[in-house]
Amino acid sequence: MSDNDSVTLTINGREVAAEPGRLLIDVAEELGVFVPRFCYHPGMKPVAVCRMCLVQIEGQRKLQPACSTPVADGMVVNTQEAGAVDAQEGMLEFLLINHPLDCPICDRGGECPLQDQTYKHGPGSSRYVEPKRTYEKALEISDLVVLDRERCVLCWRCVRFSDEIAGDAFIQLVDRGPGTQILTFNDEPFDSYFSGNTIQICPVGALTSKPYRFVARPWDLKSAPSVCSYCSVGCPITNESRDEKLVRCQALPNENVNDFWICDKGRFGYHYVDSDERLTAPLERGANDEFQDVSWDHALERVAAKLRDGARVGVIAGGHLTTEDAWAIGKLAKNVIGTRDVDSRVADAGAPYADVMISGLSPAAGSSATINDLATARTIVWMGPDPKEALPVLYLKLRGAVLDHNAKLIVVSPRRLSLDGFATHVVRSEAGGEARAVDELMSSPAADDIGDPMVICWGPSSPGRDDAGVVAALGRLGAARDAKVLMCPPHSGSQGLLDMGVHPSLDAGHETAAEPGRDTRAILQAAADGRLDVLLLFGADVIADFPDADLAGRALGGGAHVVTVELFPTETATRSDVLLPSAAFAEREGTFTNLERRIQKLEPLLEAPGVAREPWRICVALARLLGDDWGWHSFVDVWNDIRSNVRTHTEVDIDALSARGPTPAPQYESGYEKDPSHSGGVVAGPGGQYPKGYRSGTPFQTGQNWPLSWELRGFEARQRPGIVAGTPNGARPSPSGSTTSTGSAAPDGESADGFVLYAGRMIYDEGTMISKSTALRHIARRPFVELNEEDAKELELSEGDEAVVRANGTEARLEVRLADIARGAVFIPYDQKGFRANTLTSAPRVTLARDL
Amino acid sequence: MAVSQALVVRKRLVEVDEPWKLDIYENTGGYAAAREVVTTSSPEDTLEEVKASGLRGRGGAGFPTGMKWSFVPKDIFPKYLVINHDEGEPGTFKDREMFELDPHQLLEGMIIAAFAVGASKAFIYCRGEFALGSRRMDQAIRSAYEKGYLGSGIFGSSFDFDVVLHRGAGAYICGEESALLDSLEGHRGQPRLKPPFPAVKGLYGQPTVVNNTETLSTLPHIFNHGIDWFRKWGSEKSPGVKVFSVSGHVNNPGNYEVPLGTKLSDVLELAGGMLDGNAPKAVIPGGISAPLLTITDIAMDFETLQAAGTMLGSGGIVFMDHTTCMVRNALIAAEFYEHESCGKCTPCREGTWWQVKVLERIEHGEGRQEDLDLLLDMCERMDGRCFCPLGDTAAWAVRSNLQLFREDFQAHIDEGRCTYETDHRTLVGARAIGPGDAGVTPQPSEGIGSDSEASS
Repeated sequence: MSDNDSVTLTINGREVAAEPGRLLIDVAEELGVFVPRFCYHPGMKPVAVCRMCLVQIEGQRKLQPACSTPVADGMVVNTQEAGAVDAQEGMLEFLLINHPLDCPICDRGGECPLQDQTYKHGPGSSRYVEPKRTYEKALEISDLVVLDRERCVLCWRCVRFSDEIAGDAFIQLVDRGPGTQILTFNDEPFDSYFSGNTIQICPVGALTSKPYRFVARPWDLKSAPSVCSYCSVGCPITNESRDEKLVRCQALPNENVNDFWICDKGRFGYHYVDSDERLTAPLERGANDEFQDVSWDHALERVAAKLRDGARVGVIAGGHLTTEDAWAIGKLAKNVIGTRDVDSRVADAGAPYADVMISGLSPAAGSSATINDLATARTIVWMGPDPKEALPVLYLKLRGAVLDHNAKLIVVSPRRLSLDGFATHVVRSEAGGEARAVDELMSSPAADDIGDPMVICWGPSSPGRDDAGVVAALGRLGAARDAKVLMCPPHSGSQGLLDMGVHPSLDAGHETAAEPGRDTRAILQAAADGRLDVLLLFGADVIADFPDADLAGRALGGGAHVVTVELFPTETATRSDVLLPSAAFAEREGTFTNLERRIQKLEPLLEAPGVAREPWRICVALARLLGDDWGWHSFVDVWNDIRSNVRTHTEVDIDALSARGPTPAPQYESGYEKDPSHSGGVVAGPGGQYPKGYRSGTPFQTGQNWPLSWELRGFEARQRPGIVAGTPNGARPSPSGSTTSTGSAAPDGESADGFVLYAGRMIYDEGTMISKSTALRHIARRPFVELNEEDAKELELSEGDEAVVRANGTEARLEVRLADIARGAVFIPYDQKGFRANTLTSAPRVTLARDL
Repeated sequence: MAVSQALVVRKRLVEVDEPWKLDIYENTGGYAAAREVVTTSSPEDTLEEVKASGLRGRGGAGFPTGMKWSFVPKDIFPKYLVINHDEGEPGTFKDREMFELDPHQLLEGMIIAAFAVGASKAFIYCRGEFALGSRRMDQAIRSAYEKGYLGSGIFGSSFDFDVVLHRGAGAYICGEESALLDSLEGHRGQPRLKPPFPAVKGLYGQPTVVNNTETLSTLPHIFNHGIDWFRKWGSEKSPGVKVFSVSGHVNNPGNYEVPLGTKLSDVLELAGGMLDGNAPKAVIPGGISAPLLTITDIAMDFETLQAAGTMLGSGGIVFMDHTTCMVRNALIAAEFYEHESCGKCTPCREGTWWQVKVLERIEHGEGRQEDLDLLLDMCERMDGRCFCPLGDTAAWAVRSNLQLFREDFQAHIDEGRCTYETDHRTLVGARAIGPGDAGVTPQPSEGIGSDSEASS
């Protein structure tokens, strides 16, 4: 009956074929036999400590844990044998003797695996009459996580996540026996970028979210699947609201993207959506320079009038726009207004994305590799920003590729990155010498570990650096073999904007523009010089994000009529002539295209505040006023247009983006027959009857509590995989098509004065969205400058001193941190407390001096 | 009928002064077997000899030693030998004695074992409380290195063998071999998920043989005298001699080495019989993990005791007379397991906690009738469902007290008090009176030098 690829076993009398080596608990679940569990989590290695999943296997003297037993040919398993059922009930009785029954005030109540499984498998009452074990309740173990050790069932999930997945074992088991507890060490905080995942996988209410504490009961929540709006990894998430307020974001599993995880920025950085500071109505600068509310018709007509009058229009889009916005903006600019001066690179201004295509690394200005290719790669080259800070979940994937799949990771960087701890080779490039370091890789010790399949990861690491040279060098490295590239632009919408042609030298579908236009820097320069009539800014806060704050400021004051589509009255927005309010991600139906060019869908959960609109609708209205009626009324209309006009996206099936998983197995066999209210064909847990918006009927979309908590339903939730966009077939533009500006720098010679400046994102900063998110806005650090110890010695600076950093006439006082960074280079983080790094990044070099 | 010991492993430490010294060890035939094996035999032949001897592990489980060694994959290096000297089973003090008094005997056995399995490095995991023993062993290792019996090319052969002594930090669970390995690696001492077994993936992920002190201390004698000599004692399946630690209500508590299969009543006679000539009420035959016996007419070997529903275990025998409150006895055992449970799995962590709570109530006169069935039920729900044997044996200990002496429990409930004198003699450890009071410590036999002697 079975061959090498498959074994046949019997579970509860039903025969099933399965891949050898798979775990019994998973195979049973796919068959519709749910084996109760606490410690087992499909994203982590089994430990078999909770003993909840004991099943009877014929021929075995003792009951066996299904979570750590691989299937074998001829195995006969019974999950409902009397001993197994007694074990399940007994284990719950044991777990409950010390579990406080404070469900009515517990955040987990209503979506709690312990609660749910007690209903299904547990004893109706307790025989335990003694006092319960007590601990101090509600320990705040970080700014985000609260620990209640009394509720803990010691399943080790949080400990294993921190150790196995995140690699920062801040949370641990201490003491032993019945006194075993989960704790952080020596009262140090649970200072992990991924700490929120432990809340989500906690099978009880032991770890709870500080921002969500006592905010809602699960049955009051409405929820909708969405995609995180921060970085370009594009982790699928669930947005949840109560009383039309966004109150929680949780990870939605997708084995192609994030497995089961998201970073704390994605999880806790949602309050900005409900901020009182959101723009709710169009604003127009009035007679005495004050903004006044106007109607959409009035505002749009005024913008249209300016566009009709002005021959010279520049369009800049920010990185958090959806694919649909991108298509509309590109179409409005290039087809309706008729300008080529369109760009979507703001913080990453000048990043040579098109060169990735030109260098031959990829057939598109984007990735040719998927995130999953990391797991099968023999060699991974990392040449980009620190992924733990900038692309946190990609960091987890890289870590897993090295530690679980034995990939060889080569990191090229002038400064220490989080990857260095497990990288196979770390190449500390000279200041400004990354391209040369890449060229020298094949003659370095790392050469032995370069082999196929190879994935080259590149992302713009710092403004002003020679990324064009880096991409060219990576192209030479990759050309020698069959390398794929994982291109890592910074934001959730960055790749979608490139795909849709919001770029001066690329049209939609990665076609080289016949006549390239100006890039962001050139547009701002033109505006500053008074050579622009209208400047359209879609979610682009150029003063805060463009690497030359001074130029951005002059551009806004250069006389052009500035129109801004924004969520907030940012500094850029308040210097505009017309402000148009935009809907935020949780309010929108749309898609983000992530760094592997995977398109994933956002579902609307909330109404946008006031009359705020989706940016693509603003484009539609402007186009109509300018005489071009696109006839779009819905998300589907936009996509019909994209599919018929963008060659790379003709095959995208938008229905598949929101496709449901397969119908759940009709009968969950283990224990459910005890429950007379669910004796029919469809099985629901206690959560099944709750009124809850998206949840009802479509548990796999939200992964929510139906019939058990979401992580137990992981295999179904994975059924929303998204679609990777196509690539232009064989069309590779010639290098002459490139007009990409590389910012400023020629390769830095050693003779030049000062330090080569690297600036980069930390996970928490004072960006617009984060600084409006109550949970995260205080976490940004004090600004600092990292430099080499030898350099510091020469400047008579030491750790903790204040240094004066000067560039182009601006200066900042920053705390000195000695770091593993190349001599002659300094690193400054963006947007830490009270300091905007882009006041310095206009120059490739800075000088440092002691503050006297 | 005069019963006598069959002295093999304990021979030197009974008959010789200062047996821990290398010159004395050598003068009494020490290191001859190891030298012979390493210089003239092959690993394969050595393994075959141990298999043929039928030697079974003396740590508790009684697994055939040769078979355990044969599970080690041949072609993976390095391999490790680890000595389980974490002797913590209440009622057991045999390893401690031979380790303190005759450390070279163990080192010699280790050389033979390491040669057979191809390990060139060994770790001795010594129970943390054994201060004297660890000092003696430290000295023994140093003197063996000086003589070239340890280190590179031992006995002039091409076989390299290094030994590292490591002291534990006070956890009973680290006597479980995989918890021992985790502890040795510097982790929290908790049992590992098996498979893989240590023979395949043990210390630092390498093939590892974990053997008990007494097991390896027996090896030199087998090689000196031959298999037939060894097999003249015991049975086909339990050949050889075994050291039993005898304590409780006996006249001469101590270690006694007798052939396997010796009657329990003979062991009692060796220990001078029961105090005051009383009859034994209950006997723990193999450390408190082993279910109780109420008879003494039983052969002390692996298979007979197993057939009787208990086990030979570690060989710690505790005799109890009629003054013993079996509720208190169960409570003492339960408190031990609660204290020593590692907390990894649910039934052991919560079950031992609950057992103590219920037994405390019964002992203090607050028992309810339903508590008796509750206790039995609890034991059923722990037994066979725990991650490692610690939890299972915690269930056995309480269950056997309750099943065999239910009348004691019933009397406590009926009368609402402990029905024994409050100042009665206690056994494996009186209930702690205050923090740090570990109760009665079993007295080791004579001959242990002071600490100052060990360092000289």
